[in-house]
Amino acid sequence: MFGRKREPGDFRSEIAAHIQLEAERLREQGLSEEDAGAAARRSFGNVMQTEERFYEAKRWLSWDQLWQDVRYGLRMLAKHPGFTGIAVLTLALGIGANTAMFSVIEAVLLRPLSYSNADQLVSVASMWERGGVTTPYSCSPPDFFDWRDQNRSFSSMFAFHTSERALTGRGEAKRLRAVVTTAGIFPTLKVHPIIGREFTAEENRKGANHVAILGYGFWQADFGGLPDAIGKTIELDSEPYKIIGVMPRDFRFPLRDSDAYLPIGFDDKVMTQRGAHYLSVLGRLKPGVSVAQANEDLVAIMAELRRLYPDKDGKWGVQAERWSRRLVGDIRPALLVLLGAVGLVALSACANVSNLLLARATVRQREMAMRRALGAGRLRIVRQILTESLMLAICAGAASLLLAHWALLGIVRFGPKDIPRLASVGLNTAVLTFTLGVSVVSALLFALIPAMRSSRMEVGSLLKMSGSSSREAGRARSILLVGEVAFSMMLLAGAGLLVRSFVGLRSLNPGFDPQGVLTLDVSVPDAHYKNSLALEDYWDQALAKLRGLPGVTSVDAVTPLPLSGDDFSSSFSVEGRNIPEKDQQSAELRWATPHYFRTLGIPLRKGRTFTDADRLGAAGVLLISETAAHMFFPAGDAIGQKIDFGAGGGYEKNKGEIVGVVGDVRHFGLDAPIAPTFYVPLSQAGMDGASLVIRAQASPAALGQPARKLIQEIDRDALVGEPVMFDSLLADSLGQRLFYMMLLGAFAALALVLAAVGLYGVISYSVAQRTQEIGIRVAMGAARWQVLSMVMKNGLEFVLLGLAAGQGMALMLHRTMQGLLVGVSATDALTLLVAAAVLLLVAIVACYVPAWRAARMDPLVALRFE
Amino acid sequence: MSTQEERERLELLQGTLDLLILRTLIFGAQHGQGIARAIQQTSDDELLVEHGALYPALQRLEERGWISAKWGISSNNRKARFYSLTASGRKQLGKETTKWKRLTAAIGRILESEGG
Repeated sequence: MFGRKREPGDFRSEIAAHIQLEAERLREQGLSEEDAGAAARRSFGNVMQTEERFYEAKRWLSWDQLWQDVRYGLRMLAKHPGFTGIAVLTLALGIGANTAMFSVIEAVLLRPLSYSNADQLVSVASMWERGGVTTPYSCSPPDFFDWRDQNRSFSSMFAFHTSERALTGRGEAKRLRAVVTTAGIFPTLKVHPIIGREFTAEENRKGANHVAILGYGFWQADFGGLPDAIGKTIELDSEPYKIIGVMPRDFRFPLRDSDAYLPIGFDDKVMTQRGAHYLSVLGRLKPGVSVAQANEDLVAIMAELRRLYPDKDGKWGVQAERWSRRLVGDIRPALLVLLGAVGLVALSACANVSNLLLARATVRQREMAMRRALGAGRLRIVRQILTESLMLAICAGAASLLLAHWALLGIVRFGPKDIPRLASVGLNTAVLTFTLGVSVVSALLFALIPAMRSSRMEVGSLLKMSGSSSREAGRARSILLVGEVAFSMMLLAGAGLLVRSFVGLRSLNPGFDPQGVLTLDVSVPDAHYKNSLALEDYWDQALAKLRGLPGVTSVDAVTPLPLSGDDFSSSFSVEGRNIPEKDQQSAELRWATPHYFRTLGIPLRKGRTFTDADRLGAAGVLLISETAAHMFFPAGDAIGQKIDFGAGGGYEKNKGEIVGVVGDVRHFGLDAPIAPTFYVPLSQAGMDGASLVIRAQASPAALGQPARKLIQEIDRDALVGEPVMFDSLLADSLGQRLFYMMLLGAFAALALVLAAVGLYGVISYSVAQRTQEIGIRVAMGAARWQVLSMVMKNGLEFVLLGLAAGQGMALMLHRTMQGLLVGVSATDALTLLVAAAVLLLVAIVACYVPAWRAARMDPLVALRFE
Repeated sequence: MSTQEERERLELLQGTLDLLILRTLIFGAQHGQGIARAIQQTSDDELLVEHGALYPALQRLEERGWISAKWGISSNNRKARFYSLTASGRKQLGKETTKWKRLTAAIGRILESEGG
């Protein structure tokens, strides 16, 4: 019954039928035709009124009125292009900033991962405690097997690591992105090769693992998408791999295209490698099992493992987390803070438009009063205002899409590359829905006060234009203004804190000099280099060749390279200290050529660095970083200690005597703590891969390609990475922080501009209203500076109130901001002070302009002003 | 009731029209004019029903789902919109009747005591 609309015509014919029936009845009783008709109509009462009531009850009226309101609103907006333009622009800025920010959140945090039932995918990580903070870490194969075989929460689980492989045997080696994985990847991700077959369990074993499943893109590019690729052989790192399948076109793992999927090939000794943490583990939850339940399950298993293997698992925990969540880790809180900030910008924009509407409502008082007097209900007036506001907001929403589009172009272009899926931002349906929602909500927000006020107005007083209500409007405006100033204060303080934190980080010494240094990753297939001697020879050749390039001052090699994201840590024993294996301390380990420290400008603090004599076969030597020396040898007796890290990284054991102390290097980035580090001579370890660091006098960037060529001449199958300038690595390491700082800075600037415009508008308006009063004051002998200071005082009162409120709110930022800050407290007094000063300065300018105009007013003109 | 002597018709109390319509329809489907007639006749011409006022009430009852309507042919071969009671309308009628009886009884008692 409710849904169906009854046409007014249908109702009219019912009434006509009624009157006719009644008339017929009366005729039957003996009345004349004429009398019967009249009597029937009389007894019916007012036909028109009945029809009207039907009309109203059936909402026909509402639609008509809405259409009326819309047309009227359009006329009003078109008639006042200045007002409309400013309001739409203000709102578009506010809404556009929100749209852009939400697009980022949608792409990075909200959009489901593109795997089937992605919310069941859980990342399982070993948890390692370092410096009081427990952080997720890679897993070891035996731990993975025990979790996989003992849990009751997962339907399947697999372990993988990503790796780069050289596609060899076809001229210059080509770099392939490979995923090295156990066979569980297929049931866990619910994905299957489009042609060919999956790995078998047998192929997970070393020796049987020389099979490959190709990524779709690589198959298309190198095999023309032909099915006869199956069964062919490709050479990876100079070893043959049989192609057994091709993955689907839209399969991207992990979150990006990979060229090949290879079985992991565990050997027989794998179950003894409980301390070797290098695997990522993903599982699919059984239906109905929560992440918390899975965690309980795994924690119980891990407790048992700790008991069974105290020396290897004693310090490790485990944690399951939804994969989509793990991927965004600490990006998530940062983006949420920014979303909160951009919400404040939208509120500021709403406050401004609300102020505009209030000012205009005063002008439109007569119009509203006339409508009331002519019978418009309060509701009708409110609806009229809401309709107009909604139209403003929808226009602004549409305009905001353009602004957001530009903002997103910038974000994709300049945003940090290490925020997953950031490059996929776009104005999709979810974002458009959000924009529409924000537009509607902001319309309700900014129309609220004006609508409430106009509906409360009394008709009589309005028509007489008594000023009783303008004071009230003034109060509403002041509250909005104070709020706006407070928001700006908060955002400025937040942005200021990020700037201070960033500048502080930038000025930190990374421990080395990255300027003018080019880095180049090189790895050689171990099939070509059967022993450490061959490898030593290879590196000697490589360095010698590069040193011959014009302009090169020095070339050295190191692995893992600082800021590259790679690291290697291991536990070690100190000769003479009898410590059980499970209580051994661990440190970072790096392998470097003799002059690496000089090339990168890492200072020698004590003893000596490596020399060309520290070669394979000579006595093993190590260098220790300052922090490590303090930590492990607080007595200052580091030099001369004999250290054993055991095997790891290369062919040889990493053991020897500490011969020197070198300066600390911020390997994990400027914002990460300094880790205790040991160095081993590269050639004494038998390494098959390292990063070359090339220092040159002029434009080292130009040396990149010639350097690659030279390296490839030595061994065509060597995998040579893209040359990267070291200082850009350093800049990238702060990329996320720079991104957050720029965004919050932009939001703060926007809020500041809005506050200034708002302030200017309100003060100008109040000056206009007080024109006569000011005229009288001047006529009575008030000096210009008195008028000036009177108006200024009026405006700055709001500002000071807003500043006080904003300071309070900024102090509450403490908790939300702390995670984004390094080396600066969230309650940093200097930042708050500077933010307040900036705001005050802008406010003074915004107030000064209308005040100066008021002071210059000609009293005669002012007195005649109406 | 002392007004019984006057031949002027009684105006309906607010809200009672719905009850009367529902009651009238208990005997079967009826069109608007028929309902108006029936109320007037059953009350021995005591009640004044402005026919026009009937329609917003019918509208309301239809929207609430207590009555349903469809076009049909009247006994004298006229097209008219016929209203009939729905199941929930029947239930509502029971409720309203009880309420009304309690109300009149209570008012009656008060008036009795004052009059006596």
